[in-house]
Formats: sequence, structure tokens, C-alpha cells
Amino acid sequence: MARLTLWRWGVLGLAGLYFLVPLAASVVFTVDVPGQGVTFDAYTQIFSTDGFTSSLLLSLELAAATIAVVLLLMVPAMVALRLGAPRLRPVVEVVCSLPLVVPPIAFVAGIGTVLKWGPEHLSRTPLFQTFVAIQNPDFPFVLVLAYVVMALPFVYRALDAGLRAVDVRTLVEAARSCGAGWPQALVQAVLPNLRGALLNASFLTLALVLGEFTVAQLLGFQPFAVWIVNVSGSQAQLSVAVSVLSLLVTWVLLLALAGAGGRTRTASRG
Amino acid sequence: MTATAVRVDSAPAAAVKRRRRSLGWLAVVPLLAFTALAFGLPALAMLDGAFTAKDPATGATSYTTGNLTASLQGAYLTALLGSVKLSAVSAALGVLLGLPLAQAVVTSRFRALREAVLTASGVLANFGGVPLAFAFVATLGNAGVLTRHLGLADQGWDLYSFWGLVIVYLYFLIPLMVLTITPALEGLRTQWREAAQNNGATPVQYWRHVALPVLLPSLLGGLVLLFGSAFAAYATAAAMVGSSIPLVTLQIADAISGNVLVGQENVALALSLDMVLVAGLVMAVYLPLQRRSARWLA
Amino acid sequence: MTVTAPDTTATTAATVEFRGLRREFGPTVALDGLDLTVRPGELLALLGPSGCGKTTALRMLAGFEHPDSGEVLIDGEDVTRVPAHRRDAGMVFQSYSLFPHLDALDNVAFGLRMRKVRTSERRARAAELLELVGLADKGGRFPHQLSGGQQQRVALARALALRPRVLLLDEPLSALDAKVRLSLREEIRRLQQDLGITTLFVTHDQEEALSMADRVAVMHAGRLEQCAPPAELYGRPATAFVAEFVGTMSRIPGRLADGGVEVLGQRLPVDGPVPAGPDVDVLVRPEAVGVRTDGDGSARVVATSFLGAAVRVTVRLADGTEVKADLPAHEAGGLGAGTAVTVSLPERPVLVAARTP
Repeated sequence: MARLTLWRWGVLGLAGLYFLVPLAASVVFTVDVPGQGVTFDAYTQIFSTDGFTSSLLLSLELAAATIAVVLLLMVPAMVALRLGAPRLRPVVEVVCSLPLVVPPIAFVAGIGTVLKWGPEHLSRTPLFQTFVAIQNPDFPFVLVLAYVVMALPFVYRALDAGLRAVDVRTLVEAARSCGAGWPQALVQAVLPNLRGALLNASFLTLALVLGEFTVAQLLGFQPFAVWIVNVSGSQAQLSVAVSVLSLLVTWVLLLALAGAGGRTRTASRG
Repeated sequence: MTATAVRVDSAPAAAVKRRRRSLGWLAVVPLLAFTALAFGLPALAMLDGAFTAKDPATGATSYTTGNLTASLQGAYLTALLGSVKLSAVSAALGVLLGLPLAQAVVTSRFRALREAVLTASGVLANFGGVPLAFAFVATLGNAGVLTRHLGLADQGWDLYSFWGLVIVYLYFLIPLMVLTITPALEGLRTQWREAAQNNGATPVQYWRHVALPVLLPSLLGGLVLLFGSAFAAYATAAAMVGSSIPLVTLQIADAISGNVLVGQENVALALSLDMVLVAGLVMAVYLPLQRRSARWLA
Repeated sequence: MTVTAPDTTATTAATVEFRGLRREFGPTVALDGLDLTVRPGELLALLGPSGCGKTTALRMLAGFEHPDSGEVLIDGEDVTRVPAHRRDAGMVFQSYSLFPHLDALDNVAFGLRMRKVRTSERRARAAELLELVGLADKGGRFPHQLSGGQQQRVALARALALRPRVLLLDEPLSALDAKVRLSLREEIRRLQQDLGITTLFVTHDQEEALSMADRVAVMHAGRLEQCAPPAELYGRPATAFVAEFVGTMSRIPGRLADGGVEVLGQRLPVDGPVPAGPDVDVLVRPEAVGVRTDGDGSARVVATSFLGAAVRVTVRLADGTEVKADLPAHEAGGLGAGTAVTVSLPERPVLVAARTP
């Protein structure tokens, strides 16, 4: 018994070392600058640095739009799969897994090709205006399109897990036998029971968009992750400080979410 | 009499069922239409571009397999093989190191520890990318804290080498392994351990003859998933500028952002197609394994 | 199912003894000094409500739990410190204990493989055991291809594969359908008798225990309440707990007087230990209670339920106590709810217990 525990603590200790040392070293790196001694400049400068606010805001706006679109597309489809169209289930499952087969870099290569059609073939058609509009650097909607696709597998899994825990059909039938119409049954009986899954899906999407680098960089936009890399050339300390902060903030938010999810689960059981 | 009653009853029921089915289709159609546009179009463009050549003089295009051939030669082939080698080595290490960690976490009595480790794994496995690269640059890079304080540079340490990248990649591969294997470890029933003991199996025999065979599909599934994840990684490698390791993702990025010769875009698309084929192969191996393990451990 | 494999039996049946077993899990006491002897070749059922320590006792014999104090003996030999994989006790678990990656035959042969028995030999032996449990044709099926009842038969064959001296059954029927449960319980009993193997059977289902076991040990709060053959347990329960846990029992208020007890206007002798009086409860079985239509009676029928050969009548006495009585169907004809009746007991010694509020 004692031997078992020792083994476990050994493994956990080594893992802790490997996973915490880079974080700790990063913090040291940001405050202990060679030649300047201990300084917190890297952290105080973050907000005043050019581009921080705008890139972070852009990332948050993109995240909000992505979450809205992906949930609007996925929630009705997933609920419908449970209610009336189980035969479509494999289709949706495959569609939602496809993005896993196409790595982001290959995906962005394809998007870039499509975007080049605009000036090459469509410059005289009204579609051209659309192409220009979705590439507006203030709010590049093309990134939302890409992120929704990339979020599909995560959202599918989160919603599927949530729906598995509730008997949607019985819920809807019970609500309808109490006199609720279809829309009412869905909004008032099904959605509240999916709160945890919706939160989970939203959060995974948020984290995905905040951390996404490949697509944004190669399409030439500058949301948060791209900004960190661009600023690293001139201000190494600053970029590391922002990196560490963003990792920790994501982790704490996810932990809070797991806590909230756990509580709702026990609440519904009691 | 009874028969009519049944028919009268069943007719509206069938109508309801039909309406339900059509409502179901209606709800799924937007999703399918969206993916066809936002995913299908780029995918087709990639496929088309990978087989298209453009004559620089006349601007005329023609179909060719030349791009694919080019993508499997010279520097591109080196990059492809480099990616495969890096992914294979780090995936194998990720499986070997992730399994004991997951087992330690699963068997722990502290719920808070489990929750924290699993959430942290979720963050690191999916969203590490750029921050992760910078954390390692700050730790083990040329001016990194450990490099300076331990004098690693004098001992020949270089973060921007094959093994340096492996160490960085493990930072998100081990958490991915923990996430993948945890449900399987939780699915190992205590009854199996006890039944094995009851049949005279020592703890070693239990692991050798019961636990590992039952976990095998999940372990193999984890291996291919880790391979795919490492293979597709770009942000980490790109943020660690100066990486001297040739990787296919870096080659594609260089080609489409025009850092190399003009006209290489189509080769980049062919390289992308190569990647999709490898990733597709990974999924084709992963899904059946996943299905089997789900059946055993449900 | 025919049993044609006498060599499945161990050479001689074993005696199992629990001596002063004690085990605490944090604040809860699972076993509070258990003393019990299982005779060679008998089927002993450990019966009790959940949390009474019956499963803990069984798992100690298998070696999965260790007592804080006390010892476990097989044929007089102390096995308390012997690790689980070297105990000579085959166990059948509640459910889902078959190895999912092995087919039925390999599941049964698992123990022989651990003992490094040659492949051909262990396959022959496993096939023999599968035949014993009536699954000769299912050897190639994997657990997920078998029904719950079939899985438990395979588990039984696996438990017998190493010719154990003791067979342990941990609620093996509780996850099965009622019908399968009945047929499998008869098969287990027949097999156990044919093999003559000492068997411990844990259950919370009193009907199961009474119908299968040679003796039933009723446990409560980590202690043994009574260990006796089923008929004795039912007819002469040693304690109030056993009386109420086994079968149905009604409590009727009575008063101790002159070495007897006054109840329902009758004076009856007391059977067994006498609690401190004078106010006590008299414990009666439904089949011992007489109910007669009587316009002047102070008791009223509250409910009746048809049980087949008998009708269970619930009667409320003048003081509000409810008594259950089983009457032959033809006698219960006129007893609708609200009928005024008189309740009587036969002139026989009765069990009494301290009054519960």
C-alpha cells in the first residue's frame, strides 16, 4: 500500500516539475532582466503597448461571433438528431470530424486559394464585394467562418455529452403534453437542461479563438496570438509575460467552469 | 372495429412522425450548408490547386501531377520526413509518459487534484500553441533562465534542435494523452482486478494479461491521435523562430506567404494534400480502435 | 443441466471459520466482532440489509479486505495474511466481472493460464466447465455477446476452474431479471450440492437466502444476529431484528403479567427472552393471525390484497395499530375495507420485544 502511494507521488512530482518549471522560469525571465535587476516593467507595460488592446478586443469579438454562429448551427441540428432524424446522425458526426482530418495549415492554404479567386475571377461581379467585406481587417469575418469549422469537433463532443445525459424526447413530449408548443418546449424544457453543455462548448470555442495563430497569421490579420508573436521581436520580456498570463487565465476560467458544471450536476441530481 | 380504431389512431401518429422527420432535416440543413461553404470550398480549392499548374509566361492553367511529385522531392520530402519523425518520436514518448501520469491521477483520492490536472490538460492539449513556445524560449532558449543559470549552452544544449522540439511538443502531447486515456483507465473495473487475483494472478500478471490488453485499443488510439496532433502543429514551431528543423507545416507557411520562389503556392497546396492524407490515415486507424475500446469499457 | 464432472470437486470439502473479525472504515464499523463457522459442504447464506458487513466478511475470505483484528481460517489454517491470489476461494461477483477482451472459454481458462497449465489441457478443462454450466456451445462468445444470466454462468465456471476449496457468491443474481434469477438460483444450488463444495452466498434478498441455503446467517450492524436453518430462522427467530427482517411480522402492543403476556384480550405464554416490561410488543406472523367478521368488533379492515392462494388483510385495531393477516381466499370473501372484525391469536407461546415508540 505504502509502496503504491510512493510510486504515485513520484510520478506526480516529476510531472509537476516538468509542467511547472517552464511556467516558473517564464515568470523569472520576465522580472529578472539581465543588466536591469528585478523589474516589473514587462507587466506594467502590457496595457500601454501598442496593439494590445485592439488585438485583444479583436480576438474577443471574433470569439463572440464564433460562439454565436457555432451554437446557432449546432444546437438545433444536435437536438433534431435526438428527436426526429437519427438517420442523419452519422452524417453530422462525419461532418463534424472532418476538420480533424484537415490540419489548420492545410485548411488555411485552401482558404487563401479561395480568397484569391476574388480579384482573379470575380472582380466584376457583386460577389467581389462580399469577398472584400469578409476580409475587412477591422473585423475579418472570414476568420469567424474558419473558426466555426475548427470548433465543430469540440462543440459536437460537448453537446453530444450533454444531450446523452438528458432524455430530450421525453422532455419535449412532457412539455408538449403540458400544453407547450414546439418552440416553447425546446427553449423552456430542453435548453435549460443543456446549460452545462452550452457553457462548456462556448468556453472551448472561446479558448480556441483566443489561442488561434495559424489561420490568422497566414491570412495576414492580427488578433491576440499573432500580436504576441509580432511583439516578441522587440520586447521579449513582454511577450513572455503576456503568454504566461493568458495560459493561467484560460486555466483558471476552465477550472471555474468545471466547478460550475460540477455544481449544476449535483444540483440536478439532488 | 378494432382494426379501424387502430388505423384511425395510427394515421395522425404517422403524420406527426413525418413532420418531425422533416423538421429534423430542416434543422440539420443549415449546418450542412455552412460546412459545404466554409469547409468544402477551401478543401476543393486545395484539391484543385494541388493538381493545377500555371504557366508563368502565358498565365494559362493546366492539370498536372507535377506539384505532388515536387512535394515529395528534395527539401519538401526532407520536411515531410522530418515532420513524420518528430511526430512519431514525440507521440511514442507522450504515450509512455502520459499513461503513468493518468494512472496516478485517476487513482488519486484527491478530487481537487484530479480536477485541476484534467482541466490543465485540457488547456495545454488544445490551446498551448504560442504561449507554450514562449514559455520554453524563456526557460530553455539561448537566453532562457535555465540555460543561463545552469550553463546549459556550454554543454551543447540547443532548444532549436530535434530533441528540443520533442521536449516542447511533449508539453502538449502528454496532457493530450492524459485526456485520451483517462476515460479508459476509469473504465477498468475493480471487479476485473479482483477476479484476476481470485484466479491466482499476481499484480504483474493482472497488468500483463488483463489491464494492458483491455487498454490496448485506447493506447494505440492515443498514439495515432498524438501523432496527428504533433504532425499538424504549426504555431509552436513558428513562434520558436529560428527552428532549424525542417517541418512540413513551416514549408507550407513559407510557400503561401511567398517567402520562397513565386509560383510555389501550388506546391504548398500539394503539400497540404499530403498532410491531409496522413491525417486521414491517422483517423482511419483511430476510429475503429476507439469504437472497440468504447464497447469494452462502456 | 446434467452434472457429469465429479473431478471438479476438491478432494474434501473445507471448513471456514471467522474469529472475532473487526473492521472499521473511518467512522463506520463494517464488522464488529464476527464469529461464524461454515461447515464442510454446506451452502451458507449471509443475509442482511445493505451496510451490515456481509460483503466485507466475504471479501475478507477472498483476501480483498483485511481485518483490523480477528482471523479467517480455512480447515483450521490461518489465511488472514495470505494474499488474494493465493487463497483457495473461487468468487462470483455481482456483475460485469468477465474480462471483456477474452471469449467465454478463455475467461474460464484464465486461472489455469496464470498457473501456466498447457494450452490444450486448459482449453479441455474450460470446455468441461462450460458444459457444466450449460454453455458448451457459447465458448467462442465474448462477454458483450452474452446475456446477463449467461455471463454469470461463465463467471461461475471461471470461479470453479481452479478447483477451489470454497466458493464465494457475492449477490450474483441481483443484476438479473426476476425470471432468470429464479432458474439460475436453482442451478447454482444443484451444482453446489453435486460438487459438495463449501459455499458462502451473500444476499440481501431473504427469499433467495431461505430457498437456497442450508443455513442462513442474519447480520446486522457488523454483528451476527442468528445462524440457523431456514425453517428455524422463520419459525423461531432469536431476536426481534431477525423476526422482522425475515418474513413479515406485525407488532401488537401487549403487557407482561405473571410470566405471560396479555394481548388482544388473551393471555399467552412468552417464547424466548423476556424484555424489561411491563409494556411490550408481541410479534406475530400474518399466517398466525385470525380475523373474524364481528359487527361489535372494534377493529376495522383497512385494505386487502390478493396473493393467489391467500388474501393479505390489513386490519387497524382500536388503538391505531395495524396488523397484517393472511387468510385463505375463501375465508376472506366478505372482508371489504371498513368491515368490523375481531382479531385473535392462536393459543401458542409468542415472541415479545421491547416496545418501540
